[in-house]
Amino acid sequence: MHELAAIEELEDLRTSLAAARDRAGTTITVCGGPGCQASGCAAVIDALRAELHREDLADTVHVRITGCHGFCEQGPIMVIEPGNIFYCHLQPSDVPEIVSSTLFDGEVIERLLYTDPASGSKLQTEAEIPFYRLQDRTLLALNRQVDSSSITDYIAVGGYSALAKTLREYGPEDVIREITRSGLRGRGGGGFPTGRKWASCRAAAGDEKYVICNADEGDPGAYMDRAILEGNPHLVLEGMLIGAWAIGARQGYIYVRNEYPLAVTHARAAVEQARECGLLGDSILGSEFCFDVDVARGGGAFVCGESTALMASLEGKVGEPRPKDVHTVEEGLWNKPTALNNVETWANVPLIVRNGAAWFSDKGTKGSKGTKIFALTGRVKNTGLVEVAMGTPLRTILFDIGGGGSDGAAIKAVQTGGPSGGCLPVDKFDLPVDFDALAEAGSMVGSGGMVVMDERTCMVDVARYFLAFLQDESCGKCVPCRVGIDRMLEIVTDITEGRGRPEQLDLLQELGETIRETALCALGKTAPNPVLSTLQYFRDEYEAHISEGRCPAGVCRALIECVIDEEACIGCGACLRACPHGAIHGERKQPHTVDLDACRRCGICLDECSQGAIVLK
Amino acid sequence: MSAKTLDAIIEGRRSQPQQLIEVLHDVQDTWGYVPQESMITISRELGVPLIEVYRVASFYKAFSLVPRGEHVITVCMGTACHVRGAAPIAEQVAGLLGVEPGGTTSDGLFTLECVNCLGACALGPVVVLDGVYYDHMTPRKLSRLIDSVRKAGNEDTRDA
Amino acid sequence: MEQYVTLTIDGATVRAPKGRSVLDVAVEYGICIPHLCHVPNLSDFGACRLCIVERVENGRSKVTTSCTLLVQDDMVIRTNTEKIRKLRLNIAELLVAEAPNSRAVQDIAVRCGVTKVRYPFRNRNCTLCGRCVRVCAEMWGARAIGFVGRGKERHVDFPFGVRPDFCKECNSCIQLCPMTITPCDGPMAAGEERLCGKCEAQLMVTEKIPDTCVLCDLGNGFNCARHA
Repeated sequence: MHELAAIEELEDLRTSLAAARDRAGTTITVCGGPGCQASGCAAVIDALRAELHREDLADTVHVRITGCHGFCEQGPIMVIEPGNIFYCHLQPSDVPEIVSSTLFDGEVIERLLYTDPASGSKLQTEAEIPFYRLQDRTLLALNRQVDSSSITDYIAVGGYSALAKTLREYGPEDVIREITRSGLRGRGGGGFPTGRKWASCRAAAGDEKYVICNADEGDPGAYMDRAILEGNPHLVLEGMLIGAWAIGARQGYIYVRNEYPLAVTHARAAVEQARECGLLGDSILGSEFCFDVDVARGGGAFVCGESTALMASLEGKVGEPRPKDVHTVEEGLWNKPTALNNVETWANVPLIVRNGAAWFSDKGTKGSKGTKIFALTGRVKNTGLVEVAMGTPLRTILFDIGGGGSDGAAIKAVQTGGPSGGCLPVDKFDLPVDFDALAEAGSMVGSGGMVVMDERTCMVDVARYFLAFLQDESCGKCVPCRVGIDRMLEIVTDITEGRGRPEQLDLLQELGETIRETALCALGKTAPNPVLSTLQYFRDEYEAHISEGRCPAGVCRALIECVIDEEACIGCGACLRACPHGAIHGERKQPHTVDLDACRRCGICLDECSQGAIVLK
Repeated sequence: MSAKTLDAIIEGRRSQPQQLIEVLHDVQDTWGYVPQESMITISRELGVPLIEVYRVASFYKAFSLVPRGEHVITVCMGTACHVRGAAPIAEQVAGLLGVEPGGTTSDGLFTLECVNCLGACALGPVVVLDGVYYDHMTPRKLSRLIDSVRKAGNEDTRDA
Repeated sequence: MEQYVTLTIDGATVRAPKGRSVLDVAVEYGICIPHLCHVPNLSDFGACRLCIVERVENGRSKVTTSCTLLVQDDMVIRTNTEKIRKLRLNIAELLVAEAPNSRAVQDIAVRCGVTKVRYPFRNRNCTLCGRCVRVCAEMWGARAIGFVGRGKERHVDFPFGVRPDFCKECNSCIQLCPMTITPCDGPMAAGEERLCGKCEAQLMVTEKIPDTCVLCDLGNGFNCARHA
């Protein structure tokens, strides 16, 4: 790649790349996103390359490894063009047949096709799949088109055209006006109007300003940012370039959490490529604009997703938040004006500039515009990434797109917004995904995590889980968070272990409200949300634990028992041998018994028993 | 601990306190933990008070102040994995190995870590062993995986 | 020339130099806002949350710590509303349940209206107020001690847990520590903790009465006079 010294050179390059792309023969797109990585796409990709090489097709068949497509439950995934043929649940052993049958003979392999759950029949093309068709895949569709390590792919499909348009036609104030008019609000959880943030930062005193991309996606159950940053890092870079132009910043940082090594690698590679092309550095595309980006790694701390803690971490210090009496747009990184935005927020910027503010604001509700990517996980059939217009009802996402509860169990609740959010019951499923609507109901859109729970999930245990998480991640500086969460956890643990007392529910409420008001940062302030929302909507579960000593979902270990049915047990000893805690006793051919004191309710014995003689109840 | 390698890590970063976390990352990646002597050198060369270096190393989970085992087992404890049963898996492996999360077995073979989300949520419960991801884990699958590592002895599990 | 601003605290018009904190100014005017981690002439970091006040702006009130809030023209501050009193009570209750063995903490609990403690008592020998850390760093530049660990594991320690030779045993940290003066009836052993509900304490006065110190871990390696 050579350096592009002017906008015209970029446009010429784009024209020739786009033409080459149109002329390309067979193209096989394989998803390399986080979900598919976990289900083994690397082996499939290796097998594919090897087979193509063997059959002398390496030069004529183009292989494109992209970021996440979103349909993670079906991975590893492959799409073959021409024909838009969609293969899923792939294994390396399928590859030779794909090459010989589909590539050579033009035949579709039935068993690798997706089965439509509604009709039961096989669907041949990606375009027919209901999971995709019901979404509004603005960002995810781009992931699908772009090789995650290639700047040329990105340019070919229109990449950096928004930057060119900005440098050619828009002054900084124009950009800010456009972003403000679009109604874009922060996608990291705060939902703060992006245009307003940029305007304040631009207006702040000082010449030295910074832009930061917050890629410290710490919400457990959320991986949207990972998908965008790994899959399409140039989209984020372009957004940061435009933002830096608007604010007057010359240096930017992408702060990636330590648990995402591949995102760090892809981001660093993208920065290198952009520098080589002259899209980062001095005199970008021949203009006066100078801007560079560095990629920094987190140290494994959820609290570093909080903006002041992130900035402290960038400065080489511990990630302890500081009071925000003075906003970071005025005094942020190194006490200089800083505009920090989430990955998905930055990713939307080039598209808004390219297509205009109205294109974005036409979608969504009055207060929440555009599309949002959600990570739909948990006890739902179609787990993966889902992109919909703001305002879409929860019900549509969970049932029409998500396919409803997994294993046929009824969905009981959905947890949105990660540890800062709350759990919403079934009668709230008509609520639209909208910043204000979900906040009013006691939850929040947050960064986009959406965890589905059914009757096998204990809501008190969920509250306990989040409290334990937040206690682990608390920086420990202030009393309400460090001590308050600890005491909330103490109480909720008491309840899950059968020691709960009725007056503790009122104490939980009061303590939760205190922490909300007095904690130093957003981690502490929102920590009580999971508890308070489950108390509001699932109080009956708390009361069952306290007054009846019963866990309705059969989860809380102190309140359930592992029992071997004497009649059904054949005394084979499989469970005894499998138990890691030595809790099962019995003679050969005699009914076995469980020592409840040693038993940890892990369920291994249940799996091992061929007679179905063991139950957890 | 090689003074020469530490020198290479610090090269270009002297008197730059803001590089502390990157330096600690490189030390952790090289030796598998952050040795005490390295912190003293880093404090001197980067110009960060010793207590600050110690503070940062002890604050972030990425850094271990004690040597870790040959094989690192990471159990994801994220929400999606949790509702699919990550807790029994973590408990079971803790019981099998006789260590608490963060601890290393006395034979130095395994370190158990519980992480708060690896970002592979659709396929939980997820366990990572020596950098390789295993999806849809169950307590039974994990105990088998650990057995196979033990049997393989000093064989590189990445080839297995 | 010092610049002055005019603000309102609890209805009273107050004139104060720019750059001072609301807490400093209030205390100077005789408005006693409870606090623990604040020490005059040391930096404020808003950790204990006891000094919270309501800041009224555009018809809405925001709860914020007065030690980190710098005075500005036309600021409206309320230090003692019912809401603030309830929040402070809850925080003080949390504090005394953690560290009942400090006369200062017991005194704060009484001042904030705590009459019962609804949590099981613990007997920690540190409130993590950070006075010791800040005086060592800011007054002496020694930095022999600091906060280590995160969250529940956060504690004050020497580098690697060993007292460095650049600690000159000046005793400033002990002078400021709230745990060095135990409640009037003497130190509480584990299991005997209670809300003592007694009189005021003076944090800066050290008393040479034996058995009044909690004998914390930090003092163990310290050659601390109180251990002797």
